[in-house]
Amino acid sequence: MPQQPQSSDDPDRPRLWSGIEELSGDPSFENWVNAEFPSAMELPPTARRQFLKLMGASFALAGLTACEKSPFVAALPYVNQPADEAPGVPRYYATAVTFEGYAQPVIATTYAGRPTKLDGNPDHPVTQGRSDVFMQAAVLGLYDTDRAQGPTRRGEPATWKDVAGYIDEQRENWATTQGEGLRLLIGSTASPTLLRQIDELLAQFPKARIHTHEAAARMARHRLTQAAYGQALDVHYTLDACDVVVSFDDDFLGPGPDQVRNARAWSAARRRNANEPGIRLFVAEPVPSLTGVVATRLVADVQRLPILTQAFAARAGVEGASMPDISGPERDWIEAAAAACKAVAGRVLIACGGCCDDTAALWIARINDALKNIGRTLNFTRPVAGPTPAGTINDLVADMNAGNVDTLIVVDANPAYAAPMSLGFADALKKVSATVHVGLQQDETGYRCEWQFPLTHALESWSDARAVDGTATILQPTVAPFYDVRSVHQIFGMLLGEIDPTRDGAVRATWQTTFGGDFDKHWAQALHDGFISGAAPFVTENVSAQAIGRPAPAAQIGEGEFDVIFHPDPTIWDGRFANVGWLQELPKPLTTLTWGNAVSIGPLLAKHFGLVNGDHVEVAIGDRHIEGPVWVMPGQAEHAIALSMGYGRTRAGRVGDSLGYNAFEVMPADGARLAKGNLRKVGGHETLAVTQLHHRMEGFDFVREVNASNPTLPKAEQQPSFYPPWPSSKNAWGMVIDLDSCIGCNACVVACTAENNVPVVGKEQVEAGREMHWLRIARYYKGDVETPRSFFQPVPCMHCEEAPCEMGCPVHATTHSPEGVNQMVYNRCIGTRTCSSFCPYKVRRFNFYDFRAPEDSPLHAADNPDVTVRSRGVMEKCTYCTQRIEAAHAVADKDSRAIRDGEVMTACQSACPTRAITFGDINDPQSEVSRLKRDGRHYALLEEQGTRPRTTYLARWRDDAGDHQG
Amino acid sequence: MTDRSADILPLRQSIGGIADQLTGIPLHFPARRRWWIAMLFALALLLLLVISMVELFTRGVGIWGINVPVNWAFAIHNYVWWLGIGHAGTLISALLLLTGSGWRNSLNRFAETMTLFAVLCAGIYPVLHLGRPWYLYWMFPYPATMGVWPQFRSPLEWDIWAVLTYLTVSLAFWYTGLIPDLAAARDRATGRGWQIFFGVTALGWRGSAAHWQRWSQAYRLTAGLAVPLVVSVHSEVSLLFAAGQIPGWHSTIFPPYFVLGAAFSGFAMVAIIAISLRSWFGLKNLVTDEHLDLLGMVVLACGLMTAYGYVFEVFDAFYSGEPHELQTLLDRTAGAYAWTYWGAVIFNFIPLQALWWRRVRRTGWSLMLVSISVVIGMWLERYMILVTSLYRDFLVSSWSHFTPTFWDWSTWLGTVGLFLVPFLLAIRFIPLISIFETKELLHEEKEDAHG
Repeated sequence: MPQQPQSSDDPDRPRLWSGIEELSGDPSFENWVNAEFPSAMELPPTARRQFLKLMGASFALAGLTACEKSPFVAALPYVNQPADEAPGVPRYYATAVTFEGYAQPVIATTYAGRPTKLDGNPDHPVTQGRSDVFMQAAVLGLYDTDRAQGPTRRGEPATWKDVAGYIDEQRENWATTQGEGLRLLIGSTASPTLLRQIDELLAQFPKARIHTHEAAARMARHRLTQAAYGQALDVHYTLDACDVVVSFDDDFLGPGPDQVRNARAWSAARRRNANEPGIRLFVAEPVPSLTGVVATRLVADVQRLPILTQAFAARAGVEGASMPDISGPERDWIEAAAAACKAVAGRVLIACGGCCDDTAALWIARINDALKNIGRTLNFTRPVAGPTPAGTINDLVADMNAGNVDTLIVVDANPAYAAPMSLGFADALKKVSATVHVGLQQDETGYRCEWQFPLTHALESWSDARAVDGTATILQPTVAPFYDVRSVHQIFGMLLGEIDPTRDGAVRATWQTTFGGDFDKHWAQALHDGFISGAAPFVTENVSAQAIGRPAPAAQIGEGEFDVIFHPDPTIWDGRFANVGWLQELPKPLTTLTWGNAVSIGPLLAKHFGLVNGDHVEVAIGDRHIEGPVWVMPGQAEHAIALSMGYGRTRAGRVGDSLGYNAFEVMPADGARLAKGNLRKVGGHETLAVTQLHHRMEGFDFVREVNASNPTLPKAEQQPSFYPPWPSSKNAWGMVIDLDSCIGCNACVVACTAENNVPVVGKEQVEAGREMHWLRIARYYKGDVETPRSFFQPVPCMHCEEAPCEMGCPVHATTHSPEGVNQMVYNRCIGTRTCSSFCPYKVRRFNFYDFRAPEDSPLHAADNPDVTVRSRGVMEKCTYCTQRIEAAHAVADKDSRAIRDGEVMTACQSACPTRAITFGDINDPQSEVSRLKRDGRHYALLEEQGTRPRTTYLARWRDDAGDHQG
Repeated sequence: MTDRSADILPLRQSIGGIADQLTGIPLHFPARRRWWIAMLFALALLLLLVISMVELFTRGVGIWGINVPVNWAFAIHNYVWWLGIGHAGTLISALLLLTGSGWRNSLNRFAETMTLFAVLCAGIYPVLHLGRPWYLYWMFPYPATMGVWPQFRSPLEWDIWAVLTYLTVSLAFWYTGLIPDLAAARDRATGRGWQIFFGVTALGWRGSAAHWQRWSQAYRLTAGLAVPLVVSVHSEVSLLFAAGQIPGWHSTIFPPYFVLGAAFSGFAMVAIIAISLRSWFGLKNLVTDEHLDLLGMVVLACGLMTAYGYVFEVFDAFYSGEPHELQTLLDRTAGAYAWTYWGAVIFNFIPLQALWWRRVRRTGWSLMLVSISVVIGMWLERYMILVTSLYRDFLVSSWSHFTPTFWDWSTWLGTVGLFLVPFLLAIRFIPLISIFETKELLHEEKEDAHG
């Protein structure tokens, strides 16, 4: 039986609350709400729940029992305005947010001291200004109302003075025992300062031990390098130097800390040649991934991976490899991949991912050796993130159960949720006398610990972190902490015996040694640049494949048994982003599912069990099982079941609680991301909150393709129009989206949400078809459902020259600007919705209700002040980021010059990791966008409708040019 | 058809008797109990509408099942449906007046009344439908200080004008036709209140030859205005759809298709009301089987012309070969809302075929059943045209669904209350069959019989 997470009714603890729903069982609270908000009484249960959720912001800040006003309503204008602060003029800070401990370098835009938007740091060697969904959404995490807002002990508010007293007391104990029984459990971190502080702590208390835990992190990759090379290594692909990549289940373009770097390099390599596709990918994988979408893909069950790697090794002439039995499609794929590799010898990479077993990893290492890829396309470094050496969570739980742990300090990790339930961390925690949770939120772990030391958000902290390649960034605060919180370095300072450590002291101390004498100059430079040059050095010594042992017999799966694969969720990861509304409402790339997770199965399995999307199934691994709705994923292997982590949380906060199933319930205790399990259909069906109901392209040519032998699409005749052409002013804005580069990662969607104050509407509204995203990533597949080809197509407003919406609106609320932008005049809109009915692309979004956050919600602090917040009954849509265009006009006008090409970057464009989106002036024949509009791959969506869209597309390259018709 | 008027009313009744019978209905109402039951039912529905409107204005149009892409559903759907029902009144009164079809005289008054209240029901929908209804006046060309005008290319703007004109002309036509009867009621009224009420509303009618002459000119002139308006209004309504590019909407057959469909459902509604009234108030001597026969024929004719529209929609899709049109056709006939398409086909055209038989046309209950089927069928047709076109338009990625909510239904049922309450009041307080015109007809018949 699955273990239920510890219920909140534990009698010997004071009653805490972290969600309004929890309190709503309490009659006195119910009465209070009904008295204060009489309208809430009349709401149906679901709407009522939503109401309580959305009202949450004001409740939390005002305090349910206190009468204080939210700090966010008390904003007053300056009496004496600071000399260097101009209202409405943004300031930019180079800093970083962290993801799994790695720095994601950003430029933070702040207005009047509050950050509203993060963009990649364009000078940073890893990201070059590109971003991913987690980086884009990090700013909302800052304003999360469910953050821990002050230290607490057993749920009761405490002061930092109490904390200091407690730590002093503990330090005396540790001093006598040399730290015997003191354990730290820490999430992966790449902060030099934190690693230094940990080392100092261990030096002070040598018998203390440190453990590290990340549910979804690169441990899997370290397992593979351990198997292949006998050591844990970080893997770095040099995609710029590749012409062909063969990946065995390595989703290197998919979500994760490496996504931005790999996607950027891949897209640059892909665009290397003008008239033919650049780098080519071959992917064999059981569960469709973003990498698989842009690759020549082979559907391969987990069991086939070692066989396929061996076959490929044999085909590539690796010593000792014999050709195993493989099927026809497998042979075709291997032949094609091997031939492609051979043609570009030396510019090849073989990648190895999570579902590969040790045998497969070894074969891949040997192929890479044989093709001499190491040092050219494949490099290794010692792990950038630490701490190393460190124990695992399994060691820790064993010691906790054995009674060897007196004090446990959990730092920035949530093992009570994000670790296999069968490990029994929560139960073991009860055996520890002193427990401290240091984290941003009082999550499942914080709730079970005696102490909660609340952390500052990365945007409020002085800290440092290394990016995936080892380049360090000094994190500087963009805003003073809202709450009574401290940075992790301050807390470690206290653990190290410092009295009231300063916010930046520890970070300065770390870099003092590096910067040496001219500290201030280097420090200022580092803060200005947002990074400190110098990546981790590559390991070149002793990196060669282990001798292949006796190939382990391929693990067979029994009758009725399946491979259960655990994936971090593409939008909320291992649950750490569960309370970020933008990410909950973000459609998962391949399913468009929001606000929940599903059990992903292949079409053959679905047919066998008679399952359709939304049917409830039970997945059992050993004696543990979970129940969830099923998603039939075209192109998933027959015996693979994919579960996604991050849902089923109980202490995430008002946004992230009680959604989906908890994959950690069934995860094997060793944290393996692959296990054998069973599937059973149970009764029940639910409507999934998906934003796209139909995924087959149905024979239409929305996404077009060209190939190298036929690289030009026929040019369509311009349809005649009843209306005369619009006169154009100097600039005429247009956009081109290169579908060959789009990996469907959604960074553009979150960037648009952040830039344009797009509201979050909640699960029920998404189910009703009312999501508000101005930009959607259409996801299509065509061909056979078992081996389909997948496509992504970002669809923003097309800004038609002959716009049906403009003709339809009875009140001039949507009009054509002199620069050709289809404008939306919110305060003129009366909400007839004619524009949306007439829109052939259905890119308009309507405020069916008042979707705004409550007036005193801190979420308003994240709003872009240059963009109107829309009220109920008003249509809205993509504006080409008109506020950015106007800002560029203002700057150019001041200098009496024209706007330069590339000066206006739309939010989606600047976020895109693959530079698939180009925006600019189509009146200027020299502009990049004009050049792309002359490209042979250029086409307009629904060209035959005569709408003459300004947003157009470049067709996808089809790799298998010679083999098939295009 | 005009030749039938020769013997449409039974001759064995006196002219004065008709006047007594008809003015007697409001003055000595014969069916108080039944009327009150009907009225309470209607008031309950009206209350439902009020509640739905309060909910709607408080929370927003999100209480309905609409979404993107199905931006328009029940509000527009029922707007078109009610407006269609309304048209028959005008057609019966004005068109048949101009063509000199005397048999209309027994039907025209309540048909016109029906028009007025159906247009009222239709008329509130464009207001309810708005996201921000308090800015409705922005659709009118008033001299705004900002210098902003309505957008005259928009079919919604045309719609506002078309419906307002139609409502005005219908009202004028109805009232003009009512004047001689109001005078007759005035003359027979005994209560002081009734005397004043009818005295004022009769506008001093004394029945002089000069009055009759001017009245006749005015009545015919208004009728001459009203008839083209039926065509223009419903053609315009069809442009709400046809002007957009959505497959299933973007078709030139839409204007005549909508006008005929409107007449079809409207005549069916006239038949329903005529049959109800004549059995309720014992008016078989005035609304005769002959009338039902004629109504049945008109319904059949309109139905067959509407069916032609259906056939040509299908033909158009295949003839154009446009993949999106074909996709929409497939969605209509075999998609998630195929029940609306086949429901419309079945309810509209299958029972209709019974009207080829004279017996069926002349029997009250059978014509009633066919007419109810047509009204349901046309309701489904409007549902089908809106939802099946929108839920799957061009881009597969925006394909979605529509499920009406409680508030969709309650608003619609509420408008039935909005229709019934004033209609019942009209039955109660004004002569629902034109007295003087019926008398005129009877007189002419008697003259003819005398030779």
